Amino acid sequence: MHTVHTHDFAILVKLWVVFCTMSCVFLAGDAHFTWTITIMSFFYIVVQCKWKDLLGFVLFYSLTSLLLILIRRYGFRMLIFSEFHVLVFWLMTSIFIVSWDLITSPPGSVSAFLSRIRAPAGVILGVLVIFRFFPTMKAEFRGLLESMHNRGLMSVRQILLHPVAIIEYILMPMLMRCLQMADQLSVSAISRGIEAPGVRSSYYATGMRLRDYACIATYIAFVSAFLIIGGFR
Amino acid sequence: MIELRDVSFVYNGGGECIRNIDLRIEDHECVVIMGCSGNGKTTLTRLINGLAPSYYPGKLTGETIINGKPANKMLQWERAQHIGSVFQDPKSQFFSSELRGEIAFACENYGMNTGIVRVRTDAAIHDMKLTHLIETPIDRLSNGEKQKTAIASVNVLKPEVYVFDEPSANLDNEATEHLAQIIKQLKAQGHTLIIAEHRLHYLTDIADRFLYLENGRLTKSFTKEDLLALPEAIRLKMGIRSPQKIDWPELPRAEVANDKIFSLKLENITYSLKKKDILNSVSVAACPGHIVAITGKNGIGKTTLAKIMCGLLKESSGKVFIMGNQVGVKHRWKYAWYSANDTNTQFFTESIVKELLLLSVSTGAIKKHARNVLKEFSLYEYKDRHPFTLSGGEKQRLSIACGLLSNRDIMILDEPTSGLDGRNMQIVSNALKYAAAQGKTIFVITHDVELIAKACDYYLNL
Repeated sequence: MHTVHTHDFAILVKLWVVFCTMSCVFLAGDAHFTWTITIMSFFYIVVQCKWKDLLGFVLFYSLTSLLLILIRRYGFRMLIFSEFHVLVFWLMTSIFIVSWDLITSPPGSVSAFLSRIRAPAGVILGVLVIFRFFPTMKAEFRGLLESMHNRGLMSVRQILLHPVAIIEYILMPMLMRCLQMADQLSVSAISRGIEAPGVRSSYYATGMRLRDYACIATYIAFVSAFLIIGGFR
Repeated sequence: MIELRDVSFVYNGGGECIRNIDLRIEDHECVVIMGCSGNGKTTLTRLINGLAPSYYPGKLTGETIINGKPANKMLQWERAQHIGSVFQDPKSQFFSSELRGEIAFACENYGMNTGIVRVRTDAAIHDMKLTHLIETPIDRLSNGEKQKTAIASVNVLKPEVYVFDEPSANLDNEATEHLAQIIKQLKAQGHTLIIAEHRLHYLTDIADRFLYLENGRLTKSFTKEDLLALPEAIRLKMGIRSPQKIDWPELPRAEVANDKIFSLKLENITYSLKKKDILNSVSVAACPGHIVAITGKNGIGKTTLAKIMCGLLKESSGKVFIMGNQVGVKHRWKYAWYSANDTNTQFFTESIVKELLLLSVSTGAIKKHARNVLKEFSLYEYKDRHPFTLSGGEKQRLSIACGLLSNRDIMILDEPTSGLDGRNMQIVSNALKYAAAQGKTIFVITHDVELIAKACDYYLNL
């Protein structure tokens, strides 16, 4: 998940960009102008040379745009998603993009940033565990579903007749695994010196570069222009 | 030099403990700690690397000296600079999803200058021959590569001492040979190595001493010659695995033949994922009572084949016959039981008895059968315990027992003896034979030549 990018912005910049993007989306007077912040987010990804992410998000945005056009102009209807759902996805695309960019940063960069702002070791450890937690839990969940299928717990009859038991069968092993994983990761961190005093460093740490300052300035200018021209909610 | 003087330890809340250990490990020495599961091997490694009692609280008495300094005067992070730890399951100790970030983690924790972090990280990657994997996400590495990454992530701090806890548990034979090379290389570089391990054959020519732990006490110490001279009956009684590399047993191949009705027959199975062939025209068949070993390198497609057999994956092409009838992917689970290598996601209820009887109609006959199976698998005394509280070997046995009670004729077991001591391996081996004697057809994915030699009748090498 955390592909190495030397073009990555500093974590501080990424946080700032998330803040600016959320401000634009949630404070915009006219929600339809949010396409501009989405385009801005695409540029933000381009500057960091994250082509795969760019492709995925362009496809996602194109799809939601197409669905909105089909719904509004041609009365297209779907079984699961309503116009409201599609509109929310369309509006939030920019937030998805910049948040994804933040959470897929190398954990070393994130922990180095937290360490620089003097976050306690417990907080840093917690953040690192969360970073690793989701991809690992995804694999665990897949294994659990396979086991349930193997035991015959995923049959339609079983699901319909015993829905509460099915939820229990999923929740209990997942909770136990959560505890185990948190334990194993904590042990791993402690045995590699997470409790050492002082400021952590990072393989990727470059400090704030000119491009980071430029990004912050660009976003300040963009958000100001966006809110002044488009107005507040 | 590491010295333990009359060290005893018991975890808060009880459990496995260590009793009156006197142990002196010289610099540059390679020591292997042997013994059955639950006898204190892991706890002893934790006492050496300091995780007990710093992370695993408990009552510690006696004195531990590291390089002439009392260990209790050292903080855990100070000790971690001198003693690096490599655990059994490397994937559970990774923080990053990419190689450099993972290996750099320890240096970053100590706040080393970024330049030094990069130099050390790149050197560790080079030393462990991982350079070609720099751009590969860690989750996609093979088990052997993950273990190398775990060692590199310790190597980066340049500790004098390495503590390994069952490092070969998830490795195939080739990866184990690579691990042996790395351990040999670390020894040649002058490191002190302490290795808690069940599989011994790859360490026989490397280790200086083999220590035997029994009920938390160090009861015996062997040289290589002593260990090799140990009579097999005594060795098995002690739960020690073979110190010699076991020759591959002469088994017939589990081949498809037209004149027999097999309980399971796979014809020309192919499986492709993202345009890559994982399995290419694989055929195999077995009759009731057969135990077939499925072997091959890590990543060759053994688990994929097993999942196709039991309907968790759909083949790209080929046919699957059960009792002579072609059976579609959606219905295979009704005939074929699958015990995954990772037993942590396999149990759903709060007791072993309930687990065995899950979805069964609880008649007197079934309860009696369950009772007999539990006794046969040495699980009866734990029948009311939560499955998560069992050891690895006990979970494997419970999974096989659930398969037996599931009323399915085919059982597919994925690495049922990984990480098991000699005694547990023997119990699992007996459990497989018991299931086969009940008329089950059994496929065992395994790297364990000892298990193959003891239990299997046929093989399929992928």
